Amino acid sequence: MFASKASLTSLLLLALGTAALANCGGGAGGKSAEAPSATTGTAAESAPGAGMEVLLCDGQTKTVVPPGTSGTAIAGDLMTQWLRKNPNSSWEAEERERHTLEPSADNDDLVGRVNGQTYGSITHQDVALWKTETERVALAGSSVFHDAGALGSTDGVSCDMCHPHAANTHPETYPKFQPQLGRVALLRDMINWCIEHPVRGKAFDSDDPKLRALEAYILAQRKGKTLNYGKH
Amino acid sequence: MDREKARRRVGHESIETRHLRERGELFQALKSLDRRSFMKVSAAAFGAAAAQGLLPPHSFQPVSVAHAASPTGTPDTPKFTFAYISDSHLYDRNLNDRFVNQLMRAVDDINAMDPQPDFVLYGGDLAQLGKPVELELGAQILKNIKAPRRMMVGEHDWYFDMGEKWRELFGEPRYSFDHKGVHFVVLNSVIEKDFWTERKMTALERMMTVAGLDNGIQSRFTVGDEQREWLKKDLEKVGKGVPLIVFSHSPLYKLYKAWNFWTDDAEQVQAILGKYKDVTVIHGHTHQLLTNRIGNISFHGMLSTAWPWPYAPEGMPKLTIQMGRPDPFNPHDGIGDGSVQVHADGLVDKIYNLWNRNPVTVTRQYLASNGAKDKPAAPLLASY
Amino acid sequence: MPFQQQESQLTPWLASAATVTVPQGVSPAYWRTVVPEGNPGNGAQVALGRKLYFEPRLSKDHSVACATCHDVSRGFNDHRGRAEGVGDQIGHRNAPTTLNAAFYSTQFWDGRAPTLEDQAKLPITNPIEMGMPNGDAAVAAIADDPEYKKGFQDAYGRAPNFDDLGRAIASFERTLIFLSSPFDRFAQGDANAISADARAGWALFNGRARCGGCHQMSSSNPIGTDNRFHNIGVSARHQDFEQLANKGLQALAQGKSRESIDRLAIETDLSELGRFVVTEDRADIGAFKTSQVRNVGVTAPYMHDGSLPTLWDVIDHYNKGGEANPYLDGGIEPLNLTEAEVDQLVAFLFSLTDDRLAAQNEGEKARQGALAKTQRPFRDTALASRKVFPFEARLQGGK
Repeated sequence: MFASKASLTSLLLLALGTAALANCGGGAGGKSAEAPSATTGTAAESAPGAGMEVLLCDGQTKTVVPPGTSGTAIAGDLMTQWLRKNPNSSWEAEERERHTLEPSADNDDLVGRVNGQTYGSITHQDVALWKTETERVALAGSSVFHDAGALGSTDGVSCDMCHPHAANTHPETYPKFQPQLGRVALLRDMINWCIEHPVRGKAFDSDDPKLRALEAYILAQRKGKTLNYGKH
Repeated sequence: MDREKARRRVGHESIETRHLRERGELFQALKSLDRRSFMKVSAAAFGAAAAQGLLPPHSFQPVSVAHAASPTGTPDTPKFTFAYISDSHLYDRNLNDRFVNQLMRAVDDINAMDPQPDFVLYGGDLAQLGKPVELELGAQILKNIKAPRRMMVGEHDWYFDMGEKWRELFGEPRYSFDHKGVHFVVLNSVIEKDFWTERKMTALERMMTVAGLDNGIQSRFTVGDEQREWLKKDLEKVGKGVPLIVFSHSPLYKLYKAWNFWTDDAEQVQAILGKYKDVTVIHGHTHQLLTNRIGNISFHGMLSTAWPWPYAPEGMPKLTIQMGRPDPFNPHDGIGDGSVQVHADGLVDKIYNLWNRNPVTVTRQYLASNGAKDKPAAPLLASY
Repeated sequence: MPFQQQESQLTPWLASAATVTVPQGVSPAYWRTVVPEGNPGNGAQVALGRKLYFEPRLSKDHSVACATCHDVSRGFNDHRGRAEGVGDQIGHRNAPTTLNAAFYSTQFWDGRAPTLEDQAKLPITNPIEMGMPNGDAAVAAIADDPEYKKGFQDAYGRAPNFDDLGRAIASFERTLIFLSSPFDRFAQGDANAISADARAGWALFNGRARCGGCHQMSSSNPIGTDNRFHNIGVSARHQDFEQLANKGLQALAQGKSRESIDRLAIETDLSELGRFVVTEDRADIGAFKTSQVRNVGVTAPYMHDGSLPTLWDVIDHYNKGGEANPYLDGGIEPLNLTEAEVDQLVAFLFSLTDDRLAAQNEGEKARQGALAKTQRPFRDTALASRKVFPFEARLQGGK
């Protein structure tokens, strides 16, 4: 299951926090990688003997089941329907399964440190938040990186064709004077050059979410390499 | 303008002209010698080749023109030569012109070889997504090869329709044949355990999964139980002293699992092959210069005509001298075609015909000496 | 144009540059790699070099000077396909312009001269260019002239000699920096210094037309060359190119290829092998130096053999993916540029001519434009639009 271009763009917007979405069941705002829990569905009024209509917390998905149907079965049915309508809901897990991602820095050792200030103390929740948000953007980058359509390619080429797992992308060597570009290139300039030439697409704007995500993914994959700007 | 005429007209000559005239006189003098003396003189002037009598004395033509001879300076004559083209990854020509043009360039290279190779091996991954239109396009282009062709399948050819179109165009993917005293085996070494049924994947989804080198959902390549049995049976009638050359898309050893530079049952396959004195594996899939030796089995990778892969972050065979980091500003850098010179002793010299670069030869002496002799030059730019 | 006339045309152009100085905008650190240690180019050296540049006595029959083929009135080249020397002998190569030649890492189309100093001396002793038997004869031709005696003494503190002759001419050439074009004003912020077409052409140059890959421009190296050698297929149009290339390969396969190549030089016309003759690298077969794009408007006809008459022909050549041959540089591929885009690129290229040559440039624009309207022999839309591929024709035997 790979993301179509349109839904991936909206995913990226979501991942980058530019859309506000309806709450569902009291969880965090916006669609997360977790599907909404079906256990918070509300049961509608029903006449005895007739089918029972069960509505999901999103206010839209519903199912009609005979009374006495087990809760698990109801939940399963609602879940299947919801997943069919939202095929990319588990995109992060799927992307991780397809393409590994270097883990972001381990901040666990910061938990519990108090600096004598309110702002100084860090909780497990903070660490988890940083990790999920950071890796989400890198994963979004991985999706685009591996998808010729998302890159806007007109010749069927995606980045992973020359850079499996972002190998050989060497972001640690930028900024670097690149004679063929006639100027000092940053990583994003080289990404855009590749998009224009081997990938035969249109260069991304500097603040395009896809370009930012691609940068994030490439930098993530080269974790641990020593910075060495100007290296040819 | 003929420099000789110029000299005569002017009556005296420039430094450049005199230098060239002196050399010309040397060669003229050589021509007028009787044959034996000529051989002596030319041997001294031109290296050991002529002295060993390995070249026809009536010409200075080497055996292989487009693919340079051995770097030790002694181009000894192989028993025969075959060429290869591999990993073209064709899309429909209206979608990607580059890959198609590049395959055409490779065919042109092979057709220009003088002398012509005995046959040409196609190393697999002719199509990118295994679509009928891609395979047919590839078949059509390969028909332009003058020499006889031997086809081998790659994963990109297979996982769209599980080999249906391939069989129709090219026959059974695994077979063997004998040629000038060498036994050749062609394997379908990209057999993957079914990962697609339980995920309810469509044919295209399955193919797209396999098409991603770094896609972790696909299974690792194998030769498989059934095919190993076939191989054992096939080799039953082949004497242990007969040179064996195996064509395989996957490397038949374990280099880097994450990119399927890997054959899961490699040890078992090597055990079968290892019973032979001289075994060479020529493999595709890796799109780079790759050299390995395990026991008495030599392994050589083939270049792609489509794009180069980077070198794996770990698991690189000690014998591999990298081909040098390809220049992204030249779409033909790090790719090409090549040939294999098979010698009477059953060992091979592998020639990498890299476009826009000097060719690289990995000789049998290099492998036999475990890297001590004939070491290919180290690249200026190594992989990042 | 007669030498005296050329000189008088040159004088107002170089009023301010009597010595070799770092051009504006170029990093002094980089310029130090351009000017050799022993030849700084002071006023006396430059003046001597200038005099020698216009000196026909340096040729066998006193008819040819540097300025014959590097003519001030013709963009400092000669507007011929191939240069013509003493006794009306035609050579193999197009004479490049002396303008900005200082920025090249090597001289000649095949880079066989490492410096301007070396380059200046070679045509003098070449039998078909200036025809002198050797350097001593060249020096002898002028050594008794009191002006030269004084000139050499002032410049180098010694009597006239061939090496100093080369040094002087090189120093003079290092003052021929012509980088003040409408494009430069545009680059410095005046958007209207060049036409809209030229601006679009500049975007194409750096983008889809892929020119920047080899014709690299930067503030340190502003002339538009990577100082490397590429086979773009021009030599492949010569009938015997592939045969010649095969002979070159055979020479390579010999143990001592230098002798074999020398023999090749005597028996065949090696000119089309280009850089290969210098490096003996297979990749250099048919490869020639990336030419600068500065002042290209006034240096027609184009390429190492002068085979492309107009800038439109140049773009047509690239648009169709050059000429397929076994050594074609992989960076050359069909570009799928429209007619309008071709015009835009040409407009951009004409905007690179220095203001001092504006009159010549306008003349060339008109002349080339008129010629291009009547003939475009290198245009091939099927190849350019990728309906047919460069190596496809070769497969079907239609080389």
